[in-house]
Amino acid sequence: MTKRKNVTASLTLESARTKHDNWSGFLSISPWLIGFILLILGPMIASLYLSFTDYNLLSSPNWVGLENYRNLFSDARFLKSLEVTFKFVFISVPLKLIFALALAMLFNTGRKGSSFFSAVYYIPSIIGGSVAIAVVWKQLFGRQGAITQILSALNITDTNLIGNPNTALFVLILLVIWQFGSPMIIFLAGLRQVPAELYEAASVDGASKIRQFFSITLPMLTPVIFFNLVMQTISGFMTFTQSYLITGGGPLDETLFYAVYLYETAFEYLRMGYASAMAWVLLIVIAAITFLFFLTSKYWVFYQSEGGR
Amino acid sequence: MKKKSLLFLFMSVLLLMVACSEADQGSGDDVEQDDSASNGETTIRVAWWGNQERHDMTLEAIELFESINPDIKVQPEYTGWDGYWERLNTQAAGNNLPDVIAMDNSYLNEYNSNDLLVDLAPLINDGSINLADVDDVYQEINHDGDRVLAVASGANALALVYNVEMLEEYGVNLGPGYTYEDLYQINLKIKQAKEEAGEEYLGYDFANAEYELFNNYARQNGMSFYNAEGNGLGFEESTLVEYFEWVQSMVVDGAAPSHDIMMSYIEGGNSMVQEGTSAMQTAASNQIIGIAQGTEYELDLAILPSLDGQHANFIRPSMSFSITQHSQHQEAAAKFIDFMTNNLEANEILQAERGVPISAAVREHLSDKVPESVQKTFDFLELVADYTTEADPIAPPGETEVRGAFSRIIESLKYDQITPEEAASQFIQQAEAVLN
Repeated sequence: MTKRKNVTASLTLESARTKHDNWSGFLSISPWLIGFILLILGPMIASLYLSFTDYNLLSSPNWVGLENYRNLFSDARFLKSLEVTFKFVFISVPLKLIFALALAMLFNTGRKGSSFFSAVYYIPSIIGGSVAIAVVWKQLFGRQGAITQILSALNITDTNLIGNPNTALFVLILLVIWQFGSPMIIFLAGLRQVPAELYEAASVDGASKIRQFFSITLPMLTPVIFFNLVMQTISGFMTFTQSYLITGGGPLDETLFYAVYLYETAFEYLRMGYASAMAWVLLIVIAAITFLFFLTSKYWVFYQSEGGR
Repeated sequence: MKKKSLLFLFMSVLLLMVACSEADQGSGDDVEQDDSASNGETTIRVAWWGNQERHDMTLEAIELFESINPDIKVQPEYTGWDGYWERLNTQAAGNNLPDVIAMDNSYLNEYNSNDLLVDLAPLINDGSINLADVDDVYQEINHDGDRVLAVASGANALALVYNVEMLEEYGVNLGPGYTYEDLYQINLKIKQAKEEAGEEYLGYDFANAEYELFNNYARQNGMSFYNAEGNGLGFEESTLVEYFEWVQSMVVDGAAPSHDIMMSYIEGGNSMVQEGTSAMQTAASNQIIGIAQGTEYELDLAILPSLDGQHANFIRPSMSFSITQHSQHQEAAAKFIDFMTNNLEANEILQAERGVPISAAVREHLSDKVPESVQKTFDFLELVADYTTEADPIAPPGETEVRGAFSRIIESLKYDQITPEEAASQFIQQAEAVLN
């Protein structure tokens, strides 16, 4: 009898405690939670609503239903910005990852000073998204910039690479690739996780370095590659600063990134509703692509902990 | 134990929130106190765009204003042109516009149609803003029927800035009457001569003002860029085609530099005329002041080319001041505008940098106190007055977007990627989609 009583008592106590624990949990995360609700969730809901309206910021929004979304797909500049952004992402992300991996391999050899240099090579990523670097880049590749001068002295080309519609995008891609620091650091951490005995066994079996790379390093790194690929693709789609500051989307809209066109629509042309619709379409595009990556991941990503499944 | 720590956590979070709101409250109170403490002192916010020079001069003028009106405090809000409208638009959305804002012709209608501007007519009629010395021509554009939306803080007209010696050297005269075709020939001629002498010559600098120049071109044809109702375009397609043909031939034949060269000068903040690689450029007349500061060359202003003997210049506010509906202190705001318009000492400080002062008394007072380049803008506006036609109605809302579309078409034209006919029909289609 007493025993049973005890059990019920401890049960109530238990549930009371869980309740308490939840509250203290919510309380501890409340600084983040409040920030999330006020700064992210609220604006997101507002923008979803605005995407169905005609809103010029200066007077109150008018409900227009799906019109903004319908208009998007007959807007030549919108389609152009999609094209440019896809081109940018699909060229810059793989190149950046290859570059980051190559340097991570180099610094993983444990040679003297490799940690110093990996820190040095990380610097561009810290400052690379900044306004200052964009301005420097503009100067370097501009009409009288150092790189333009060198290229023309070497008789390679004497055009201003930023002003030329065929090359402007590649100047921006180059800038983004140069900011390979954060994937490099992650690759470096990944490389250090690869068990040394695998390489030892492979060398005993007489596998060449190249064979070791493709049969050990690469498969063991696939989770890290996957992570980097997803993160870089997402940030690639949202690239703004480089284009806005260096080319302003030009020449001939050849560097009109999605985010730049969105900004132009919202804050220069005051079409907030249309811009909100664009933002949601971008969210859907990014979500779809990320989802695709996850779908394919089971065919190429190797998780050691799952015994290679 | 657990309870205690929970309580502690709760208390600290609460404390933090209280502290935050307290701080907010505190700063809010401070401002209010500032307002009322020193017996009825009011604070007005004044916003403008410009470069460092304009900021310095305006701040100095504001100091003078505050010393004359010790009961009014002015809180300046200034930025460059880039970002000015973004900032103002967001303030407008937040019902928090400054009391006085610098206004541009292209935004006047947008702000007016959204009911953000105060009608200044009563303030002008009761003498709070004294426009007795102001000729109507300077204020024409700022009217909407009987309502007055803004007071011009300076006037200018679209013009050509040219290098006096260089044109003399090649025997060129840009007196009224020269034509668009002449500009083409002159620049090719100078270019050929310069290149034979081994010097670089880039040609006519459009200075990214092709849109404004076409405004004039349409007017010379007896049309206008926008129709009177403000819901469509006011010119014929064939007129635009002619203009596009001229622009394209200028660039493709080498009488003007390619688009990317032109833009690299603008973005770099210098000009070909300053550098001597161009003899002339399109500019608003007050721009000669800035251009002259960066060069040894002697510069002067010419009126725009004539078309079949037609001239269609117009004098317009280079910028204006408006009072916004969000202002709680319209009287103080009016006082400030009156001060900027009429105070002689203030205008000495401001050096007519915003354009030719609209008050005749101020112009007279300044005539021997300003640098030569400023004096040239005064003279130019007098010259241009003989070649003007009636001003166009203010541009309709959406003008910014139409201008954007125009620039992009011009860009394709200059890169020779499109024919003038295609360009014209494409542009008209895009512009009408925006305006309708």
